[in-house]
Amino acid sequence: MTDSALDRGAVDPAVDEPTQRLYRVPLGPAAGWTAEPSRRRARVSRAILLGLLLAQAVLSLRLRNSAFEDEALYLYAGHLELDHLVHGGPAHPEFLRYFSGSPYLYPVAGAAVDSVFGLAGARALGLACMLGATALLYSLTRMLFNERVALCAAAAFAVAQSTLFLGNFATYDPPAILLLALAGWAAVRTARSGTLLASLLVAPPLATAVAVKYASGLYLPTVAALAVLAAYPHRGWRAVGRAVGIPAVVAGLLGVALAGGGRAHLAGLTSTTTGRAAGSDGLLELLLDTLRWVGPLFLLAVLGTVLYARRERMGELPPAPDEAGSGRSRTGRLLLGGLLSATALLAPAYQIHLHTGTSLHKHVGFGLLFAAPMAGVAMSRLAGAHFRRPELAIVGWVVLLVLGLAQSQDRYHVWPDTTRLIATLRPQLGPDRHYLVGANWVPQYYLRADSRPDQWTSTYSIDYTDRRGRHLTGDPAYRAAVADGYFDVLVLNPVAGGVNRALARQLRGDARYRLLAALSYRQSSGGAFYRVSYGTGSFQVWVRATPAPPS
Amino acid sequence: MTRLATVGRGGRPHWAALLAILMAALVTACSGGSSSPGGSAAGPGSAAAAADRDSGSASGTAPVVPYDVRPLLSPDRKYLGVAIDGAPGSSAVVDAYAGKVGKRPNLIEFYAAWGDGFDSAGARSAWAGGALPMMAWEPFTPSLRQIADGASDGYIRTFAAAVRDLNVPVAISLGHEMNGNWYPWGTKATDAADFVRAWRHVHDLFLDVGATTVIWVWSPNVVNPVPDVALRPLYPGDAYVDWVGVTGYYTTNGQHTFASLFGPTLRSVRAFTRRPVLIAETGAQQGPRKPADVADLFAGVAASKDVVGFVWFEYAKRADWRVTVAPAALAQYRKAAADPRFGFDPRHP
Repeated sequence: MTDSALDRGAVDPAVDEPTQRLYRVPLGPAAGWTAEPSRRRARVSRAILLGLLLAQAVLSLRLRNSAFEDEALYLYAGHLELDHLVHGGPAHPEFLRYFSGSPYLYPVAGAAVDSVFGLAGARALGLACMLGATALLYSLTRMLFNERVALCAAAAFAVAQSTLFLGNFATYDPPAILLLALAGWAAVRTARSGTLLASLLVAPPLATAVAVKYASGLYLPTVAALAVLAAYPHRGWRAVGRAVGIPAVVAGLLGVALAGGGRAHLAGLTSTTTGRAAGSDGLLELLLDTLRWVGPLFLLAVLGTVLYARRERMGELPPAPDEAGSGRSRTGRLLLGGLLSATALLAPAYQIHLHTGTSLHKHVGFGLLFAAPMAGVAMSRLAGAHFRRPELAIVGWVVLLVLGLAQSQDRYHVWPDTTRLIATLRPQLGPDRHYLVGANWVPQYYLRADSRPDQWTSTYSIDYTDRRGRHLTGDPAYRAAVADGYFDVLVLNPVAGGVNRALARQLRGDARYRLLAALSYRQSSGGAFYRVSYGTGSFQVWVRATPAPPS
Repeated sequence: MTRLATVGRGGRPHWAALLAILMAALVTACSGGSSSPGGSAAGPGSAAAAADRDSGSASGTAPVVPYDVRPLLSPDRKYLGVAIDGAPGSSAVVDAYAGKVGKRPNLIEFYAAWGDGFDSAGARSAWAGGALPMMAWEPFTPSLRQIADGASDGYIRTFAAAVRDLNVPVAISLGHEMNGNWYPWGTKATDAADFVRAWRHVHDLFLDVGATTVIWVWSPNVVNPVPDVALRPLYPGDAYVDWVGVTGYYTTNGQHTFASLFGPTLRSVRAFTRRPVLIAETGAQQGPRKPADVADLFAGVAASKDVVGFVWFEYAKRADWRVTVAPAALAQYRKAAADPRFGFDPRHP
């Protein structure tokens, strides 16, 4: 009789029947505990996950600043759309031309929340999305590996700069990340399902993510490939059908949406994403940014990939002789780890291609979501069997935590706090007045109840017809508008140079205007690795002088 | 049984060391996030520190908005001002004066030599008592040319920062009576171009620092004793001046009417600016005509739409200009000051 037969409790013919009836020694398992799923494991893991989510929320909510220009723009646009939809106000198709996501999705949802709970509420929506993404990441990773790896992955993702930043930010990015996480989760969850069902379940959140933020399309191949690799152990080569099915359903859904919602979205998609004008940021600068925001977690993910390729098993125990593995070959494991890890570099690679670092600190979060499972593998392996070396995993996580804390603080203060500026501007508003403000979406958003869009002009562009009927643009237009006394309030930032500095100089010698306030502010450099440094600037608020101009 | 991780291989305790690492890392990160090391010029009195303090965002309190002085520049009613020894530091002095003249002064002028610190406490006290503080700033030394060339920039910036931080309106008259020859900043020792240059330099430094609550008062003496000195070359320009302040006294042997005392100066000034006028220093010499002089002053100010008020010089200096020591003049003053056109609370103009 074989040992395995004995293990199964077979009767030993060498022992007579009465003896066997008298006493049968119960056969226990090969080990005193098991790594197989159990209710207790799930309960403990979820409790730890809850703690992680709580920590993530606290670390995000510690960030304090007034609205960033993009937040103000999207929420303001959402309010205009709501006004159009609910009260029949004018439509604003111009947003379609330059928004990097559909103006009818996130902006409207964000503005609806903002209407009730204010900016904090809209940002809380972002927090909910990022917490949801972490939870889905945990679940996805648990399905791919186990609870311990899943907790490590969630812990790594939860403290990343981009996660903490976006957890208190009201733009497209948090819902897009949540939808990608949902698509990735569905791709793994449907690993045993048929191609059609998998495609039908994975594609909708993926297509919605693309609609919410066009750049999410960059991660469509990752999700499709993840679906294939997750399903391969169960369905063999039939899993490859997902590589076609998922993109096809996504394309179909987006095609229907475009046909229904107008082709104007394509203009925005082209101008902001696929055909975005190349910037002038240097390669070295972008590589440094990538190192700062992606590097540590990516290195962990690569380590995890190597360790996973070398050994598949996640638990402490050697496999039982009759226990089947996940069915992934070393190549399969390498492909899975490589796919997830390399996804962290997609956004940096694309932005290096475009020579622009704009919003890279946010965009890296999309890729880190996918790389986190492999970082989790690395941390779990570093801790070792029976937590023999927890210090290595903890040190690795603390490094991620420290960098995430400092970098999110740094990125959250690259724009000045405009609280005082808004309070200064509010009493200066009037129905027939005109305002010149650089990043004027911020005051437009905050002061939307007391002003109209046509009252605001930015220092970025102007079309002005002077008193002699000449149509002017650029600096001559600004100079003429000031000379004509067109503006009632001007907010200038001389540190910004250009037209700001020139107009500030012009106004100093213009008796019709008076400097109402010079509001100092502090902002971070935005380039911190682990320690934040600050610089200062000042808003000059010029208003009409009350006394009549000299005759 | 799973071995707990509280003890490492060889029985070494892990967690104390790990906790220490964690705490050290957190402290490092948090200190990096909340301080302003490297690259920052932020000190305790800096603009950045002021920004942090006043923004209201971090603390959740209402942000500090710089005071808008424009409603004070051309109010509907007249300023009833006084320059009196002990004010604005002592509210008792002001209270006593107000009791005698029957109305609380709503502008208090005081004097500061170049090099003095800004009397924040005095200005705050004046404002709290319902009076606009007005400082006559006397640049005895260094010369205006040196000031214009930047010799006092540090002092000016510090002074301006104190004014900014107080955040109440302050009228400043720099180098008053500059058309006379009796002060070092007057025509004897300073040429007009240097005066204008210095004025603009000081004004610009105040703006650079963010001290925007200043009402700039350009204060020539009445032209009567110095008819040959042209005012226009001494004028810094409307972009640098809010009020024209005029100094002129009713004397026993000089002009006795508002028209003859101030008229020539106002006509001269109106040739180059329409800025409101404040009679920045005035008084009447003791004598039988003093009550009439007081009545004439009130009547002249009340009749002049572009004159925002006057400052009574309640001093016995070279002559006794005080109204409180002359019963008949004081009675006239009380009667005229009771006119509702005089006096208002500048905190609610």
